[in-house]
Amino acid sequence: MERNQMHTQVANTRKSLFDQGYLDDQFIQLEELQDSSNPNFVEEVVTLYYRDSARFLSNLDQALEKRPLDFSKLDNLMHQFKGSSTSIGAKKVKTECTHFRNYCSARNAEGCKRTFQNVKKEYTTLRKKLEAYFQMSRQVGPVETACQAR
Amino acid sequence: MTVEEFRGSVGVSNEIDRFPIGMRVLAVDDDPTCLKLLDCLLRKCEYQVTTTNQARTALKMLRENLNRFDLVISDVHMPDMDGFKLLELVGLEMDLPVIMLSGNSDPKLVMKGITHGACDYLVKPVRLEELRNIWQHVIRRKVESKSQSKSNNNQEKPNHEGGQEAGSGDPNGKVNRKRKDEDEDFEDNGNEDDDPSTQKKPRVVWSIDLHRKFVAAVNQLGIEKAVPKRILDLMNVEGLTRENVASHLQKYRLYLKRISQQANMVVAFGGSKDVSSYMRMNSLDALGDFHSLSGSGRLPNAQLSSYSSSGMLGRLNSATGMTLHSLTAPTLIQPTHTQNLTGSVSSLNKFQPVVLPTPPNYQPTNLFQGIPTQFDLGQLQQNNKPNTQLPDFNPVDESRFFNGSSTFPTLGSQSCLNLVSSSSTFLDIPQSMGENFHDQLPPHSSLNYGHASSNNMITNTMTGFGSDITSAPSLPLEGQGQSQSQSQRHAQYGKQSYGQYSSNTFSTLAAAASPPNGGGLGGPVSQSNDQICGVYNKSNGNGPLPMQMNKQTHKSNTKLKMGSGENYLPSGFVANSYDSMDDLMNGMMKREQDPMIAMDGEFGFEPYSFGSCI
Repeated sequence: MERNQMHTQVANTRKSLFDQGYLDDQFIQLEELQDSSNPNFVEEVVTLYYRDSARFLSNLDQALEKRPLDFSKLDNLMHQFKGSSTSIGAKKVKTECTHFRNYCSARNAEGCKRTFQNVKKEYTTLRKKLEAYFQMSRQVGPVETACQAR
Repeated sequence: MTVEEFRGSVGVSNEIDRFPIGMRVLAVDDDPTCLKLLDCLLRKCEYQVTTTNQARTALKMLRENLNRFDLVISDVHMPDMDGFKLLELVGLEMDLPVIMLSGNSDPKLVMKGITHGACDYLVKPVRLEELRNIWQHVIRRKVESKSQSKSNNNQEKPNHEGGQEAGSGDPNGKVNRKRKDEDEDFEDNGNEDDDPSTQKKPRVVWSIDLHRKFVAAVNQLGIEKAVPKRILDLMNVEGLTRENVASHLQKYRLYLKRISQQANMVVAFGGSKDVSSYMRMNSLDALGDFHSLSGSGRLPNAQLSSYSSSGMLGRLNSATGMTLHSLTAPTLIQPTHTQNLTGSVSSLNKFQPVVLPTPPNYQPTNLFQGIPTQFDLGQLQQNNKPNTQLPDFNPVDESRFFNGSSTFPTLGSQSCLNLVSSSSTFLDIPQSMGENFHDQLPPHSSLNYGHASSNNMITNTMTGFGSDITSAPSLPLEGQGQSQSQSQRHAQYGKQSYGQYSSNTFSTLAAAASPPNGGGLGGPVSQSNDQICGVYNKSNGNGPLPMQMNKQTHKSNTKLKMGSGENYLPSGFVANSYDSMDDLMNGMMKREQDPMIAMDGEFGFEPYSFGSCI
């Protein structure tokens, strides 16, 4: 029962991530790739994502400090970050990235900076939620998590 | 090609039988997240996956073992190398299908991917279903290249014939056509992405540098002993396969042959000694002998090559020798823009640099048999009898062509130039001669001197060379008894035509003709029709000349990149095919005007006199 409850809890958490738009179908793809030969695939990928993102975000931070702003460089950096985010299905983060890039093309410095803050915020939120989710899943058992269909 | 066949042709893999299972994919993406994801997805499809986040590493892996992978998937945005660049390189060097991957679905990028040769363009995030289908690209490529090689074989013949008949036709057109055909013909040679040929086949581009290495290796081994494997080892070039070398070698051999033939012809023509433009040509006394030589009838084809050897050789040394044996350097022909003879002389000068290095070991003995080993003019001159000379040159026999080559080694660029000059005299052979020749020329000779204008053109381009060329073709005719007239004509035209032809022609001719002949002429003069055409091609095509020539004569025609009109030395070997002197001349003229157009694909070398002959 506790176990069942935990399962349910995990399932619910997962569902809410989708419902709230933090994750999209791509995440499901990742989950589908997880199997016995790759038991922790999703978590591994997400961990990679964190590491990568930290780098991107700090680069973007630095680039935004410069005056004048190098929009094409910003755009490039953000493009990469967006690519990573898309790969794991980080929906909200991806959306904010798109906004950022739009402002970049419009060469709107203020818009860029503002959006970038949003990006960071979304990223942080997502990360927290995912970390909690994975932790919970681990407690329950990986098999259970993988079997949970959306 | 059936799947079974394909499987058989796939590299070593235990899973060949279960293709596409076990297909070996190389995935390149700088984003670790994406890379890992891709890796997992591909494994899900049961492919054998290798990943790297560095484009350079990927290239290295690919070059290390060309058969290690079946397919490459690469991201577009990468820090160390642009994905499109990697795409191009892989396509050129390894002829592997490449799939582009990007988070950006901008149609412009997709188009760029296509133009660079990608066989597919996927947008991130990639889905499993999409990856399950990528094996089709591998099979398709195999099927295509197989059918293309077949069609190439079929094409060569028609082209060849067409080229010969075209004669005075539209040189440009011909050149272009030949070029195109050649492109299609060559499977092994580098093929640009935007190549006009129907199918994109990555090829090895035989740049000048590469060709030089090749020739050096061949010379080192000795032309008789040069086998692709050993040449490949000596060259030590990344990404070059034995097959590439083998085909190049074949062309090179053809080129050598042609050159020797041309040389004979040139020599035979001896022609006017007043290759005013070419000082060196003075030594072409022997040329005068050509007249007589031509009478010998041996001149045809072979004569031409000898021509260069005889009179000009003295001076040209390098020219003939160069073309023949050195082939390496397009020294001969720098498609200079000699507007007139005098100009051509200068162009000749340009040729000098081209002088083919004489490989110490290179003893193209078999080549220039006919050609006296010493193409010294002195020798030739001494032999007032053209006949005697000719026989020496043995231009008649292609095989003997390269006797002279032995001397060539010594020939420096100078010789080439000389030849050129002598060739110019030949070119002098007025069109009338050309016409005569035309009739008399062996059917296969594509020299169509019929065009009077062409004569001029020829001369112009060749400045000295041109004349040679004309003479070259005429040589055979002379043999038939026209030598006298020819020589006369030569004298007449000697000067005039040269002026006309820009150095380009010359260069092309020179290139074509092979150094001895002053470049282009030598080449084309070669007995094989193709050769002659080849020379002409140069002139016409501005570039494609060499290629064309080759194409016609040999499949392997070295595609000399006539490239920059100015410098294009038909190193490769102009002789590939002359459609006619006209063409050659035209080509040369054009060449002058237009920057050498690198003949795409095959032999990119510009200054190579021997470009593509292998």
